[in-house]
Formats: sequence, structure tokens, C-alpha cells
Amino acid sequence: MRRGCLIISILLLLLCGNSCAVIGRGQNFRPFDDKTLEQVQQGKTTASEVTKLFGAPSQIVKLSNGNAYVYERSVDKVTGLWLLIITFGNFDTQYDRIVFFINKDDVVTHYGSSFKTGTASYAMPF
Amino acid sequence: MILFIGQVICGCVSLQIDKINDGADIPPPPAEFKAGKTSLQEVLNSYGAPSEIVNMEGHFALHYKRTMDRAGHISIGVPFADVLKVGPELNTRGTLLRHDTVIFIFTREGLLEDMIYEKGTSQPLWDTFWK
Repeated sequence: MRRGCLIISILLLLLCGNSCAVIGRGQNFRPFDDKTLEQVQQGKTTASEVTKLFGAPSQIVKLSNGNAYVYERSVDKVTGLWLLIITFGNFDTQYDRIVFFINKDDVVTHYGSSFKTGTASYAMPF
Repeated sequence: MILFIGQVICGCVSLQIDKINDGADIPPPPAEFKAGKTSLQEVLNSYGAPSEIVNMEGHFALHYKRTMDRAGHISIGVPFADVLKVGPELNTRGTLLRHDTVIFIFTREGLLEDMIYEKGTSQPLWDTFWK
């Protein structure tokens, strides 16, 4: 009995000595300011005003009747756990995106946004 | 002896399990979305900004996607290569990528023309991997 406890204790000690946990966080560029988006008005705001408010877009897509300006930010969270012979890794990436549809007169006709970076989480893969 | 066996096992057998999620959950299109009736702004209001915008020569598409990756890696080896010049090793690795996708195709005027939805993450992990 005593010997069994000793072996379990040593194995636990060994497990602790060989285990490691890590968390990491990555962020792609500065986050959007929600209030800035409120300044954009469909049919009034121009493409140059959009770039003044949000800076250079992450991507410009040429469409048949104008362009789409895409702004993207991301946050990724990483969780890792090493237990003697078992390794668990979890990677979660979430995005904030804004897209402006701009017609041939350089005026914003439509826009949409989604803010999900706040939902990125640390977790285990099970 | 126990410490020695423990240390040897550390180098011989390893199991790795990973989960990689890219993007938020993609719900199915609501019933009120109808081709020829729903506008670009209605889709943007419901789904937000897309992952990708594709120009389709006169048409354009909004592509919303989420990717879920699950991976496993098992490694078994006997680290005697330095002593015996032979070091048997077995490695096995599996990765399953699944995608939730919805694509909305619009006319150049911004009227919904077609939509496609697939929820790949609803497929069972284990069965899907072996098919």
C-alpha cells in the first residue's frame, strides 16, 4: 500500500515536472472604433471620406458597377497544454470586418460590419 | 528506475490533439431571404461583412465562411539509434478540415439571385474522417 502511494507520488511529480501550459494572443492591427462607423451615411459619404476615417483598406474588390472596400482585423488566441506524453492545442481566430460598396460616383451605397474578435476564446480542443 | 522509465516514455510515445477554429458560426439563411426579392443591404444587415467578395463579371458574390480543423498525431519510437544504430519509429497523423459556408450571389444592381449554404461542421468527426 505504502509502496503504491510512493509510486503514484513519484509519477505525479514526474507528470508535473514534464508538463507545461501556454496561452498566447495575437492581434492583427489596431481595432476599429465603433463610433467612426456611425459617421458613414449611405448615399452621402464618399470613398475618400471612408479612407480618411478608416485608413487604407485591407482589400479593394473591383465590381462591375463600382468597388468594394474591405477592412479586416483579427484576434487569435492559443491555448496549449503538455502532459508528459499528451499535447493539447487549441487555436481560435475571430475577425472584425467592415465592407463598403462604392458606386462609380465614389459614393457609399451599402455597407456592412461584423465585430467578432471579442468572442475569440482560450479553450481546450475537446 | 521509475524516473528512468518515465523519462524514456516521454521520448518514445507522444499523442497530440489540436483544434483550430477560424471565424464565427454561420447560421443558415432565414426563410424570408428570397431570390429576386432580397436586397444586398438586407443580407449585410443579417450577416454583417463577408469573409470574401467575388466579382463574377456582371454579378458578384458575398462569401461567408468558417473553418474548423481537428488534427491528431501519434508517435511511437524507441530511441536506441545512438546505441544500436537502429531506432524503430511509428508516426501517424490525421487532419480533418470542415467548412461552414454560405454564398449569396447578387445581380449588379444588388438583388439576390441565388444562395448556397452548407454546414460542414455538422458532419460527425470520426465517421467523416474514415469515409
